Amino acid sequence: MLQWIHRSPQHWHEFINHEVCVTNRDQQRFEGRVFTVDPVSASVVLVSVQENECPSVRVILGHAVTDVQILRRGTEETERQMKSVFLPDRAQDLSAEELKSRRESVRLWLEKNRVPVTEDGELLCVANALTISAPYRPGDCSSTSEIILSRIQSLVEKLPSPKENIPGHQAQLSRSNITSVLQTQ
Amino acid sequence: MKTPVSVLRLPRGPDPNSRGFDPSSPRFLALCPTSVPSSSSSSSDEEEQRLRAELRERFLRTLLLMTGKRVRFDMHEHVRVHARFGASDIDVLNLQVSDLETPLGVQREALLRCQDVIACSFEV
Repeated sequence: MLQWIHRSPQHWHEFINHEVCVTNRDQQRFEGRVFTVDPVSASVVLVSVQENECPSVRVILGHAVTDVQILRRGTEETERQMKSVFLPDRAQDLSAEELKSRRESVRLWLEKNRVPVTEDGELLCVANALTISAPYRPGDCSSTSEIILSRIQSLVEKLPSPKENIPGHQAQLSRSNITSVLQTQ
Repeated sequence: MKTPVSVLRLPRGPDPNSRGFDPSSPRFLALCPTSVPSSSSSSSDEEEQRLRAELRERFLRTLLLMTGKRVRFDMHEHVRVHARFGASDIDVLNLQVSDLETPLGVQREALLRCQDVIACSFEV
């Protein structure tokens, strides 16, 4: 029987979202729902399952784990509840129509500022160098270039709220500014 | 909050370079995984990599949630200490904490070795 730290990621992934009992070398037991197992250190992250208390998280370091037993299987609802602890402002709080209209307004704002942007399903792709995922806030931009990231982030931050968004609103960046930003990679 | 104690300069241990934190020490090299063990069949490599990435991302979010919070560390011999979590290194071998409450007093900044820690718990 392999030690916990030598198991495969597939094996660890099996435990996610289920209530388990973790035993350590001193025969101590820890119970909770598995949020993740770190592939580098095999540490198990457990979330407490009590309903009426504020959630507590326990990280058990991989070297101390001897055995993990599943007590109860989780459901989609428990997975969603657990994720909401770690990811407070997720897009799942917004409905599909709201997301779509937000995506549209961000895309139009970028186009108004002469930034080449395309839609790829739920993502907005800017000049093949940066993507913006739902819900299209400045923190949802990801790119490999720091310069492009900071420019587009500040642009998205300046996105006027719906009542201010009148047609013919002044563009924030000039054309030459944008092309020089996109060329410096 | 108790006032922090001044840093104690303990006598040098057997390893002159920092008692186990030195990256070239035999202890560090033995603990730090230099190669990642993977499954034998090549067709499942992508799938394994995807699972690894997902697991690691969730773990990094846990660490993010833990920063700045008052965490309880359960260590060997039923030792329990409280501290404010700062950061972890990439291989999860050391944890940087502030205001570590020990029987000797409150240490303003400290580095905990993960081999000494069994579990850390905190309230969200």
